[in-house]
Amino acid sequence: MKEVMAIIRANKINQTKKALVDAGLPSFTANRCMGRGNRPVDFEMLEALKNETEDSADVLPSLSQGARLIPKRLLSMVVPPEQVSRVVQLLMEVNRTGTQGDGKIFVMPVTEVYRVRTREEGLSAIDEMAG
Amino acid sequence: MIMIRAIVRPEKTNEVMQSLLEAGYPAMTKMEVAGRGKQRGLKLGQVIYDELPKEMIMLVVPEREKEFALRAIMESARTGNGNFGDGKVFVSPVEESYTVSTGIKE
Repeated sequence: MKEVMAIIRANKINQTKKALVDAGLPSFTANRCMGRGNRPVDFEMLEALKNETEDSADVLPSLSQGARLIPKRLLSMVVPPEQVSRVVQLLMEVNRTGTQGDGKIFVMPVTEVYRVRTREEGLSAIDEMAG
Repeated sequence: MIMIRAIVRPEKTNEVMQSLLEAGYPAMTKMEVAGRGKQRGLKLGQVIYDELPKEMIMLVVPEREKEFALRAIMESARTGNGNFGDGKVFVSPVEESYTVSTGIKE
């Protein structure tokens, strides 16, 4: 099993949830978090945005400035290994706006999974159709 | 790549973040968590606090930079004097990592 952890824009969560349900992968865990990205401060761009009030509402949140943190959503789901690439593609399609700040996706190994209700373990514990 | 998850004192978060920035790790995510350690929380008089507020800092770094990143976190998160409650750092493997905006796999 693999854990797919995605850090995405907070306003994309509903679209992402819908896309995941449509793809037959309804289960996930979400968390509110704060983060900053790789981009260094671009003060020139900030100044330019101040003068242009029209677009600034869309662009400002995507500028990560040093220690200033941006609210994000952390979405994590455990899927069978053969589903990983599908999930990653789906998450990227839905969340891509093409500007920096769209987020990151990490894939991590998970060694054991249990379903608490039925004590099932392994793949059948995350099979959405069974149970 | 590895994911470093550090659970630190909330009042130390800014210091840890600054030290990570200076060490060249601007990208990180943090969230508020609550937990207890092996001291089973804090006992003040008759009251036991076993869900102490902490902050979890998460970052993914190349494996060869592990020691360096860990040192940046540990040295800034420590209060000195060997106090309990300074936190824990967990390291786990990350197999793939993608940037959503570009779709590039790193």
